Amino acid sequence: MAILSARNPILSAKNLCVESLGAKESFPVLTDLNFSLEPGKILGLVGESGAGKSMIGRTISQYLPKGFAVTKGTLAFDGEDLVSMLPERRRNLLGRDIAFIPQEPLSGLNPVLTVGQQIKEHLLRIGLAAGENWRERALKEFEAVHLPHGAALLEKYPHQLSGGMCQRILIAMAFSSRPRLLIADEPTTALDVTIQARIVKLIAEMQKRDGTAVIFITHDLRLASQISDEIMVLYAGRPAERGPAKQLFSAPAHPYTRCLQLANPNITGPRRGLFILPERMPGLRVLKELKGCRFASRCPNAIEACTQTEPPLADIGPNHIAACIRTEKTPDIVPPPLAPGREIASSKIHLNGEKLTKAYTTAWSPFAKRSSFKAVNSVDFTLGEGEFVGIVGESGSGKSSLARLVVGLDTPTDGRITLAGRDITANGHADRAYRREYIQMVFQDPQSALNPRRRIGSIVTQANEASGLHNSTRERMDRAAELLKEIGLPPDASMRFPSQLSGGQKQRVNIARALCTLPRILVADEIVSGLDVSVQAQLLDLLLKLRDEHGFSMLFISHDLSVVRYLCDRVMVMYRGEVVESGRTETVFANPQHAYTRSLLAAVPPDDVNAEWSPVLAEAGYQVE
Amino acid sequence: MRPIPLWLKSGRVQTGLVIIFILGICAIFAPYLAPNDPNEQNLLSILTPPVWIDGGDAMFPLGTDSLGRCVLSRLIFGARVALTVAFSASIGAMIIGAFFAHVAGYFGGWVDWVIGRVVEIWLSFPPVILSLILMVGLGTGLRNVVLAIILVDWTRFCRVLRSEVIVLRQRDYVSAAQLVGFSHWRTITREILPGTLPLLITLMSLEMGVAIIVEAILSFVGMSVGSETAAWGQMIADARQNIYEAPFNLIAPIFAIFFAVFGFNILGDGLRRTLDTRLTQTERS
Repeated sequence: MAILSARNPILSAKNLCVESLGAKESFPVLTDLNFSLEPGKILGLVGESGAGKSMIGRTISQYLPKGFAVTKGTLAFDGEDLVSMLPERRRNLLGRDIAFIPQEPLSGLNPVLTVGQQIKEHLLRIGLAAGENWRERALKEFEAVHLPHGAALLEKYPHQLSGGMCQRILIAMAFSSRPRLLIADEPTTALDVTIQARIVKLIAEMQKRDGTAVIFITHDLRLASQISDEIMVLYAGRPAERGPAKQLFSAPAHPYTRCLQLANPNITGPRRGLFILPERMPGLRVLKELKGCRFASRCPNAIEACTQTEPPLADIGPNHIAACIRTEKTPDIVPPPLAPGREIASSKIHLNGEKLTKAYTTAWSPFAKRSSFKAVNSVDFTLGEGEFVGIVGESGSGKSSLARLVVGLDTPTDGRITLAGRDITANGHADRAYRREYIQMVFQDPQSALNPRRRIGSIVTQANEASGLHNSTRERMDRAAELLKEIGLPPDASMRFPSQLSGGQKQRVNIARALCTLPRILVADEIVSGLDVSVQAQLLDLLLKLRDEHGFSMLFISHDLSVVRYLCDRVMVMYRGEVVESGRTETVFANPQHAYTRSLLAAVPPDDVNAEWSPVLAEAGYQVE
Repeated sequence: MRPIPLWLKSGRVQTGLVIIFILGICAIFAPYLAPNDPNEQNLLSILTPPVWIDGGDAMFPLGTDSLGRCVLSRLIFGARVALTVAFSASIGAMIIGAFFAHVAGYFGGWVDWVIGRVVEIWLSFPPVILSLILMVGLGTGLRNVVLAIILVDWTRFCRVLRSEVIVLRQRDYVSAAQLVGFSHWRTITREILPGTLPLLITLMSLEMGVAIIVEAILSFVGMSVGSETAAWGQMIADARQNIYEAPFNLIAPIFAIFFAVFGFNILGDGLRRTLDTRLTQTERS
């Protein structure tokens, strides 16, 4: 290690500032960024959305959004300043010495060209050895990233491949030029947990092979601490803390790092409460006016002095710096006690599914035979009063299809579903009316779940509009105000449109709409995925609070095992349309029986940074990819 | 005061609206604006050139045609036919097209299949021939011109809108509306229609330009309004015989058609840029 650190840094930033230059005024986006990355090291960049993580990657490629510019400082690649460099020189470096792995593997590849055409173009650009055939070289690169059937892959189009395979191809392309620096911007966010684990391991393996320096951008502190040598936590465009990964994760010095860590539910050990960070990161406009510490308004340890001057990044240990004047108080931040475990009051069963099956068929046409596919295959489940049941599984496991059957958006092809004693399998007109009283759904994507042309007040009281009861403007406004208060939004939000709210606020509105008629059962489909950890913690807390008030039960669908572990009483694991394991949450997590459950659990980065993370790469009994 | 909506700030929309406003004034106040009766024949002064050319007569600012009728007056009265056809035909085509588009896109399945095939068969007829056949069947007259254009052009709306409806149909808020118990009718009108409206308005504005051209073609071949009503297409047909002696008789109605169609098209383009949600922010600016 000592020998390595003596080498020249491959990438170093000195007082780097990026600003968004408006016509009238400009706002700082990145402030006083200092870091240096040595060859062969991995730097994890962690922060919530809007912290400026991706802006660093874009500054390196000088592909900043319109109106953004580097206003101060330098960013040097191997001693050459990337900012003032001639564009031709930079173009030569990019893709050859500096490689990128994008967030969305599917959009990283051109959909109208075969994989072979794309890799050929890339290999010809970076140059092949004399007498080397591009095809042989491509196959060699595919082998290195453990892609089987390379020759067949070359003929395929990106849409014929899974997200994980596309990401592997992009990794193969990125490493084919033996780059000295790799920028991986949330490379696994769009992928399933088990695939995430494999992709991260693969990047680490390739990085070791070539001695590449890597900037690994992620919002997941736990993941970053597993793969990185050093971590930099960004808050509102400024580093809050920087230090060796293991040390930073096991003893965070900045309150923000600590809060982020505690906002994420743990996966091993006894369940603990979540630390709820209030509000949101300050916006660019507020930041400009702000005198003191950027985190002060949300910090549990803030004192008067914190709001006066911006704290400098001070040494607090070897290679470990933090921008906080009260780092000694950071360990005092503890998660709130876990809400007392609710014993399920009665054994009354609300909802019961027996051998539920849903087969989807291709679109109707008189000329083609319809083919069908079983998305949900003979699933049995029950949901008791006041009970939270989690459904976990990867994409394509049939979780969402099951949710659609439960709420009545689809009718099962086989099996039986009873709700509070009544058989509602047929999903007829009367069944729907009956079901409406009991079940409501919270949708996954807040962007798509709220009609952009309706005001919030009108969205949350949609149920009144449908039933015609209490449908006067006055009554609806009153009900909307009540609902908004319950979910923690200001009353004036009811006149706003969805586009004027943040992602977390939209998801609250989404919950409020489902709660309008006080249903007994909520079905929530991935409602916290894609949100920041702090927002996720706020929403999970809100759901528990609402359960205490209204006593509803919930089917909670998620791919995030730690969230399910925190929230749910029972859990069902789905794989390819079938339930492979189910039981009480603690039992299943502590002692998983099915191989698939084990591999899901192993794919989650452990809480303890020193524990070995060994995701199962393949196991008998189920097929990978 | 409410801020000016984004679409009104667009230069294209403003240009289009000004042109349509000018045409509208001409059409509404034609009897007051026109210097002469459009059908009055002055056989003593036929084919007089416009006033700025030697031999021009101040009584006929744009000259006269082969029957001695005032070209400017006929142009102004012609705007009446053009605009009536433009508005009523595009509204009619929009209503029929939008109805079938929403039904097909919302319900899908065999309904969608049947509507889709009908539209395809309909579209495979050459539109001008189809409208000529319809005019022969229906007989001439303003109302029948409008009807013929509606019957030919509703498919255009249906096609384009259907794909938009299908996109909106996939949105979770449509599912959410069904879950709280909205009827199909209410779901379509309250959740889907507000989303397709911008596209609908844009298409309608483009369709108005198309309707003016189709009307001109029909009146050119004498299948539109009767000869007692002035129409631009008719004026072109009349001027054809004296193309060498009085070229301006031909140029004036052609320019009027160009002016009107340009107005509607630039309005439609401006609306598309500002209202279409599928365009990105960058393309708009």
